[in-house]
Amino acid sequence: MEPIDHKKVLAERLSARFGRRTVLKGLGAGLLTAATTGAPSLVRAQQSGHIKIASIKVIDTLDPHFTGFLSSIQIINNIHNGLLKIAYDGKNVTFEPDLAESWDIEDDKVHVFKLRDGVKFHDGTPCDAEAVKFSLLRVKEGEPKSPHAWKLALLENIEIVDPLTIKLTFSQPYAFLPVALNGSTGRAGTIVSPAAVQKYGADYGRNPVGTGPFKFVSWKENDAIELEANPDYFEPGLPKLERATFVLMNEASTALAALFSGQIDGMTDCPMQLVDQVEAFPKATLYGEIEGNYTFVGMNCKRSPFDDINLRRAVAWALDRDTIVKQAYFGRAQKAYTPISPPMTEFFDPDIATSGRGQWFDLEKAKSYRAKAANQGEIEAVYMMAERGPVGTRVAQTVAPMLAEIGIKAKLELVEPATWVKRRNASDFDFYDFEWVADLDPDETLYPEFKSDGAWNFGGWVNTDFDDLCAQAQVELDPAARRALYYKAEDLLMDEAGIAVMAHMPIYKVFSTKVEGFQYIPADLVNLHTVSIG
Amino acid sequence: MLFKALGKIAQTCVVLFVVSVASFGLLKLAPGDPIQIMLGSEYSQESYDSLRSELGLDQPFLVQYADWAIQFVQGNWGTSYVARAEIFTYAFKEALPVTLTLASFSLVFAILVGVPLGVLSAIKKDTIFDAGSAVLALTGTAFPSFLLGILLIWFFAVKLQLFPVMGYVSPWENFWLGIYHMILPGLTLSTYFIAMITRLTRATLIEVLEQPYIAAARARGEPNWRVVWVHGVRNIAMPLVTILGLQLGVLLQGTVLTETVFNLPGVGQMLTSAVLGREYLVVQAGVMMTAVLFIGVNLLVDLSYPFLDPRLRTSK
Repeated sequence: MEPIDHKKVLAERLSARFGRRTVLKGLGAGLLTAATTGAPSLVRAQQSGHIKIASIKVIDTLDPHFTGFLSSIQIINNIHNGLLKIAYDGKNVTFEPDLAESWDIEDDKVHVFKLRDGVKFHDGTPCDAEAVKFSLLRVKEGEPKSPHAWKLALLENIEIVDPLTIKLTFSQPYAFLPVALNGSTGRAGTIVSPAAVQKYGADYGRNPVGTGPFKFVSWKENDAIELEANPDYFEPGLPKLERATFVLMNEASTALAALFSGQIDGMTDCPMQLVDQVEAFPKATLYGEIEGNYTFVGMNCKRSPFDDINLRRAVAWALDRDTIVKQAYFGRAQKAYTPISPPMTEFFDPDIATSGRGQWFDLEKAKSYRAKAANQGEIEAVYMMAERGPVGTRVAQTVAPMLAEIGIKAKLELVEPATWVKRRNASDFDFYDFEWVADLDPDETLYPEFKSDGAWNFGGWVNTDFDDLCAQAQVELDPAARRALYYKAEDLLMDEAGIAVMAHMPIYKVFSTKVEGFQYIPADLVNLHTVSIG
Repeated sequence: MLFKALGKIAQTCVVLFVVSVASFGLLKLAPGDPIQIMLGSEYSQESYDSLRSELGLDQPFLVQYADWAIQFVQGNWGTSYVARAEIFTYAFKEALPVTLTLASFSLVFAILVGVPLGVLSAIKKDTIFDAGSAVLALTGTAFPSFLLGILLIWFFAVKLQLFPVMGYVSPWENFWLGIYHMILPGLTLSTYFIAMITRLTRATLIEVLEQPYIAAARARGEPNWRVVWVHGVRNIAMPLVTILGLQLGVLLQGTVLTETVFNLPGVGQMLTSAVLGREYLVVQAGVMMTAVLFIGVNLLVDLSYPFLDPRLRTSK
């Protein structure tokens, strides 16, 4: 038997993931080298301008290792860096070195990171291998436990080779690694100042200290979070702004009015219902594409009536996705056939609509499955909904008549968001709908939500073959083979209709035309590194 | 007099105790779990349990209540669960002044507009002017304040660019800029009260103007403006103060919507986000502040009667 060249496999896989330019540069010394060198720039950036951006959603904490919200990451990512970062060229999402200057792979389980030289935290302490080790351990085994700890569960050993070199040993090949070590959505790879963590303890989330382009200044509850430029930032010439204010707001239409009147310069999130107005306004630029998410109608597989596979299949084929997109998502979303979403560059199938995989609207098929269901009478089922997210209760109201077509009477129950979470977590529903926003990798898209004993498997769908496929894919480093495994897993999920997938949603950001240089990344990020204001 | 006042204050304390127990208990009974909300969708049972015991939420109800009450009275209001904000600073030093500014601005505005409008309606009873002011008052009462707020924003702030869309500037730091930022929200919140005060003033004044002492004043040959504004309008003070005390609840309720629409970081916004996030301690602080405010103002109203009406000064 021919031995497998793991290093080659991983290199190929990474070259597919990282930009071509980065890989070419990296061929000499390590496997990868960042485009810019680590020496701090002697040319100091001239910062000017003060940007004010409305942040519409909840900010729970500015501690990257503890936040549960992408709205917090939007701000955190301007204060901190990760070992890696997400980049986007308008077509492909790639994972590039950030604080790491190079990433060498000794074998498929041992990864060596060389850090940029001379990088300092905002408190003046050096960002070296010790700090990286500290941050990774804080995520992996810190107390209280980080909700992102599972992302580093396979990390077995951290060795400091020299002050700027760190060697990570994993117990298995780990395909999710580029996402896990990310400073953005992955969160687990964000590097925090050890001195600040020791100083502030549990209050670090209100006193964050990172290496990023902006320093934290203040956070006034329900009012604003203020940042100021970090003049010693390691990327030459950045940041361009002198100050940035995130104005904390509850009411998106007020934020839009403030944008139109020039009181603020942008919004971190522009709900779908307001997009028409933004498009009609000449002095604003809209950014937004389909991001890493999927929306679905969840069914409770643990109890009657949806423990019946044929009834679930009937539901999955009865949903008219075109109508749902038009009525519930303001015509802005994209029909989904399976959970894996477009920005997962290597895993999304661009021909999904014609591939025959997944599910779509076919009333005949739905009715034939309905005819096979055990219960042939009219079925009454509780559809739990909440005023939550941009579409709120619209999905339920659009879906209910479609269910009536196949003899299912959905009883719509509107509950308050906290109750909704509690009931969902206790699997106390027949139907609910949700949008799963995933880290940009199929693993986090599928596995924790649908594995048999998964903490987030609220519908309780169980299939051990699916579990095995996902577990294999986690350690499969060859992208094509990994993709094939995930497709099989998705097909099982769709065939047994564990959920009925509906759409992939766009996430919008809007800036005044005065704002220049914003680089859109389809991971709900608002990176202000390159932004300037006229 | 003093004895009466002391009695009122004792009553107040009992009411506050009842309010604190009730709000503490109701929140616990409400479905939803702060820890689940704090941890978002990604968490393990271990992090759940450790957080629960760290926050003391695994203690029995009475222990939690007693803990909280003792700390609260000492001014130690704790930190919010998620954002780790110092609640005393957040609620008392930051949020309360905003709401007080908004409420008092609206109230003063409502009195300044409502009383003259009511007086004019009473004098010009059953004329076109009176009918017009009645329509205005009815509209003011019926118009939902959040809609009015949004309309005002679009017209005055976006189209005409006369006022800022949102935000709060403390009038203690910059008086005129503070007032400038308060105009639209103040107008929004005060419409209901302008209407109410107009109707109240009109009704009271019409009655007063039929009293014998008004006829006497007229007979003395006092000018009409003096009869109305000096002898007549004085009598509005009692019913006005009474009704404002009672309607303070409506005013505070109105601040919630107004603060949301105009993005003012006051008690209303604080309470809304805290209730949705099950930030028990913040809700508790907000409820207590509101209760103290409500009861305190009504206490003042009670105590003010002897000053407003000389007949009440001689205790029997």
